[in-house]
Amino acid sequence: MSPPLIKMRAITKRFGGVTALSQVDLDAHAGEVLAIVGDNGAGKSTLIKVLTGVYQPTEGQLFLDGSEVAFASHADAIEKGIDAVYQTLALADHLDPAANMFLGNELTRKVMGMTLLDNKRMRAETERVLMERLGVQLKSLDAPTESLSGGQRQAVAIARAVYHEGLRVLVMDEPTAALGPQETARTLKLIKTLKAQGLAVILISHSLDDVFDVSDRIHVQRRGKCVGVVETKNSNTQEVLGMIVGAEEAA
Amino acid sequence: MSDATYTKTTVERLEPYIAIIGPLVMILAILIFMGIAEPARYFRLTNINLILLDAALYMPMAMAMTFVITQRGIDLSIGSIAALSAIIMAFLIKQYGFSVYVAVPIAIMIGAVLGLINGLIITRFNVPDLIGTLAMDLVYRGFALVLAKGLVLARFPDFLTEIGRGQIPGFVPIPVVIGIATMIGGFLLLRRTYFGRYTIAIGSNPEAAELTGVAVARHKVYAYVLCGAAAALAGVMLTGKLNAIQATSAPYFNLHVIAAVVVGGTSLFGGRAAMLGSFCGVLLLSMMINALVTLRIEFFWQSVASGVVIVSSVALYTWMQKKDRDGAGGWMAALATPEGQKTLRFCALLIGLLIALLAIGGLTAGSANPSG
Repeated sequence: MSPPLIKMRAITKRFGGVTALSQVDLDAHAGEVLAIVGDNGAGKSTLIKVLTGVYQPTEGQLFLDGSEVAFASHADAIEKGIDAVYQTLALADHLDPAANMFLGNELTRKVMGMTLLDNKRMRAETERVLMERLGVQLKSLDAPTESLSGGQRQAVAIARAVYHEGLRVLVMDEPTAALGPQETARTLKLIKTLKAQGLAVILISHSLDDVFDVSDRIHVQRRGKCVGVVETKNSNTQEVLGMIVGAEEAA
Repeated sequence: MSDATYTKTTVERLEPYIAIIGPLVMILAILIFMGIAEPARYFRLTNINLILLDAALYMPMAMAMTFVITQRGIDLSIGSIAALSAIIMAFLIKQYGFSVYVAVPIAIMIGAVLGLINGLIITRFNVPDLIGTLAMDLVYRGFALVLAKGLVLARFPDFLTEIGRGQIPGFVPIPVVIGIATMIGGFLLLRRTYFGRYTIAIGSNPEAAELTGVAVARHKVYAYVLCGAAAALAGVMLTGKLNAIQATSAPYFNLHVIAAVVVGGTSLFGGRAAMLGSFCGVLLLSMMINALVTLRIEFFWQSVASGVVIVSSVALYTWMQKKDRDGAGGWMAALATPEGQKTLRFCALLIGLLIALLAIGGLTAGSANPSG
């Protein structure tokens, strides 16, 4: 196997006296889906927030493609090719999909020396990215995002992340939590598409069904520590569940 | 299945335009009512000119306030900003011999600076917009009183009166041209610039805007600067219109402008901007007030009518947006629910109250004391 794209080594994160993460290692490869599972408070969210530059680790190192990196901010991480799609999706619901996709990064044109938004080009680009990269066609590109279904809104959020040419790692935080069965199936298909395009996808999920459907490896967190990484095809729900609740240690 | 969704979209397609349809329906109601009650006096050309002249004054402020409210803000200091910058302009012209062509831009710049102060108080010192601008309203009004004392400054150069009440022969008054121009400018600003785009994003989802790298605080300040400049422009127009200004001028600007914007469908909860709606809202309020005057209803009832219109519009829009969030299949379907029935009854009650008040006002004012 090729060397990991992302290497996190002995990451510790403390908030005052509370240790949220303690000596966590994590590897993620290009073209694979790594699932992170664990109970509430196991440190999943903190771990990916460290990875995406939202938090800075108290101790530990982060390697991207073999060289050590430190992210000053989330924007810094995005620039280096690591982005996240959050459960809340971070969409401005009153804006249309194109406006959301380019939010903070608008395409412009000059008209008589004034910089104006190029809505037409943003709309065309959005349609293209959704179609070519994600194979998604929206019900309407002109209606506000709030009128779209949960799955389509998510597609917009993902499109925003993958539009950045340098994107190499995509973190997805509970992408299927708010979706119905049909939409969940579509989202899982989308994750496989992204994986096939060579992205490293890191998936956080409570649904072991989803995890076993799409992931290659499963990283299990418990009480701020990594209690094991298993190959999905050599494991089963029982084993992973046991690791999540700590049954094996108790036995 | 797609066929089924397409047949029911007649109503759904209308929904985005409700913002404009709302005030348009009310405008139509006024037209019909006045057409029956007082057609001769209400539809006179001079009266229509009066309505437009009154509406023009509020257009720049309504445009700017649309941005502020869309960002989940509010500006309660525009009346004082208008008065203070107009008074400073008046002093510059009358006492220091400034050319009117210099004094007017200075007044608008002063308004922008006062708006900047508002913006910085809200973003830097984290004072809630409601309290911050309300307090600054007192400060600006205080300065205006300190400067002008009880004086009425009057008789200004022609350029100023042209701005305030000039008429393009055979066409509309000059202030109407200015007002509509600011409205069109606002529309383009909203649709075609970073500022407009980020205004909606900030109001819609501040956390998302911050996360995607939008400079939230900076764009909030821009909105208040725009609001201040627009208020100063209105102050200049008011001075020209009356050919006089005093420290207590423009007391009703705040609520009137906010009412126009909210009636126009811009959401007080942010994210939903309706520039065309604000234009209609301004027109609606001016038409309503003019109708009350035409009906010889006492001046004080105007305040009652404005208040009732605001409350009922906000209640209606809030309810409609709640339905949006619930995803209960559009507001038409939602009318059928028990809660919808309750809201309908509430609206009917409000409208009934308004009509009753108008009737009482009309009777008392008409018979006892024809104040006009």
